[in-house]
Amino acid sequence: MPDHKKVFQDYYSGLLVSACDPKLEIGLARSVKAYRERRSKTLKRFPKTIELAKEVRLIKEESANRREELVKIAKENLESNGAKVHLAKTADDALKIIDGIVGTGKVLVSAKTLTGEEVELREHLESRGNEVWETDIGQFIQQLRKEKPMHYVLPSLHVSREEVAGLLTKFFGKEIEPDIATEVRTIREFLREKYFKADFGLSGGNVVAADTGTIVLIENEGNIRMSTNVPPVHIALIGIDKIVPTFEDAIKVAEVTWRYAGFAIPFYLNLISAPSGTADIENTLVYGSSGPLELHVIFLDNGRSALAKDPVLKEATYCIKCGGCLLECPVFQLTAGNYGGRSYFGGVGTILSAYVADGMSAAAGIAYSCARCGRCVEECPLSIDAPGLIAELRHRILKNEQVKT
Amino acid sequence: MCSKLYTPPALDVIHSNTARHGNPMALAHKECSSWAAGLEIPKKGKTILYTGCEYQMTAYISSMVGVLKVAKFQDGFFSAYKGMQAVTGKLGIDLAKIYGQVAGADKKLYEDIVRKAALTLKKLDIDFAYMDRELYSGALLYEYGYFDGLREHAKKVVSQLKDAGVNRIIALTPHSAEIFRKIYPKFVTGFDFEVVPYVCTLADRLKKSGRELSLHRPMTVTLHDPCHLARSLKITDEPREVLKAIKNLELKETEFNREKTVCCGAPCELVYPELSELIGARRVRELAGTGAEAALTLCPFCHANLSRAAAVSHVDIKIVDLIDIVYLALEDNNARS
Repeated sequence: MPDHKKVFQDYYSGLLVSACDPKLEIGLARSVKAYRERRSKTLKRFPKTIELAKEVRLIKEESANRREELVKIAKENLESNGAKVHLAKTADDALKIIDGIVGTGKVLVSAKTLTGEEVELREHLESRGNEVWETDIGQFIQQLRKEKPMHYVLPSLHVSREEVAGLLTKFFGKEIEPDIATEVRTIREFLREKYFKADFGLSGGNVVAADTGTIVLIENEGNIRMSTNVPPVHIALIGIDKIVPTFEDAIKVAEVTWRYAGFAIPFYLNLISAPSGTADIENTLVYGSSGPLELHVIFLDNGRSALAKDPVLKEATYCIKCGGCLLECPVFQLTAGNYGGRSYFGGVGTILSAYVADGMSAAAGIAYSCARCGRCVEECPLSIDAPGLIAELRHRILKNEQVKT
Repeated sequence: MCSKLYTPPALDVIHSNTARHGNPMALAHKECSSWAAGLEIPKKGKTILYTGCEYQMTAYISSMVGVLKVAKFQDGFFSAYKGMQAVTGKLGIDLAKIYGQVAGADKKLYEDIVRKAALTLKKLDIDFAYMDRELYSGALLYEYGYFDGLREHAKKVVSQLKDAGVNRIIALTPHSAEIFRKIYPKFVTGFDFEVVPYVCTLADRLKKSGRELSLHRPMTVTLHDPCHLARSLKITDEPREVLKAIKNLELKETEFNREKTVCCGAPCELVYPELSELIGARRVRELAGTGAEAALTLCPFCHANLSRAAAVSHVDIKIVDLIDIVYLALEDNNARS
């Protein structure tokens, strides 16, 4: 049983330490500035995204109401496409399923996955004697720093180029200049050989279309293409809140996600519905062509279906994790992802921390650090009412509602 | 079985004081209504100026935050809470006594703002009454999740308003305007009063009367939109219309204004006082960046937190309530005519 008071105190200490960290301030200020410029340019160039966001809100509302049905449809379609689909009720279930697929002593490359962070997947796999490499540049930096991600899209947004240079110099044992291009090139060279050594590629999913069983993955770096395509087996761990009814819906959700994350056009958009396959010989389909031989999809519940049924808090499951809210949040601007739980941040993320990732004890401190100022609602493409959700969560905390301990 | 989740003790002080004394700081009725002394405002009427005791208790909250802050964070921080709870444990009655003296000068400052708010309405020929045993709106109960407490408290507020024969509320503060308009309908039956934020009353009257105000010397100000007014209630034009009606006053907007306004930090003050101050410090730097000599506020908590933040972070900008400026402009105008 957690010592609730200590959990609260530790959270506050962490929050204050980060708020008073001048290095974090530099990194974060640069990231916020760049984000503001990029996002405002993006929405000017694609003004229809703002209208599309309203449609996405309706798609997510419908999806929450049809949660169980959509999981079933997505599973059937992915299976008929040739994928293996696993349903995990809890984080432990998900880890057991993955253990069953991976075993021990393997090499894995991981595209950034928040759901993986939620179940502490990398740490778990490493503890079982596997070698796991994060391939997203930001997440790789966080792996070296032994820190959780600090933002959904930009996991190391609080780390300045100078700090990255120091980190890489230490890791590679040679002097790396504090030049962003040099830093990225250095990481690239290191990671490229890992893709070809890896037995498994891990990913999450930004959104899933139930009617086609298509996983949509948005990226710029190319690491998701590499992680999901080069290793012989691709394992996708995806929260069931990511499933929407149709392929068209999924593309709309994806488009709004990348735009509000501040990207006009993602460099790559991955659509994965099956392991690789070919019917080139006698027009007879066999799986395992140039890409993966197997695709395992694990749909994780971990509190999501209960949350989707909650009359008030279900709004939190609409979140598409574009991270736009975070960069304008006055608390986040001082503390980065320290304002949040293991994998979900800010006001809406607090609800997900409480009911999905971290449990009520951890969420209590986070809930009281929200200013309920509503700045995030202005930035949220789905206008999720974080101040309202936080008031409700505080009410539940006072009622001692505990879903996980 | 689950052990009790931890919640910050200061919140419980707010909750129990409101339930037992009608306001979070356990102020006596005469302390809440002393601003009205000698103004000859009727105690019954269809339109009331509702203060919610917020300005009146601001100095007390500031003192409390000061105490929380002086106690070093970590163990000391939390034991300070505990100590305070022990002192205030007996129904919180002693709070005012304990912090009253510390807050002397500030207390006057905030009382004066309420007084000027009333005098301004009078000068603009707006009829209104007030309630000398006014209850707090309960906004902090909602804020901190005391929904059951709010439900009970709201009933008392509604019956008090009905007893006073009110049908229209001029809500002096954004918190009370917001909770009346948006939250009360969900928590209590029979809340059928018209709620007009104070600044809207001013804007409306100035527009209709065509009255011109002016300052005796030119002044440049910036405006800090309060979150609860600008975002929750979408009221952003009215404060600007009021300022536009004042000659010799120039408004320099911050980059983050209207619905994009930034938190003053006050909401975190009773749980995370240091964080609150850091948020406030960022905002005062933005406000000072406009080059204005003063930043105008419309909410007592914004006023207190930004003032504190400006002082501790040595930012050179005066924090002034919009009411002070309007009152001054009315005075200056009268002096000239």
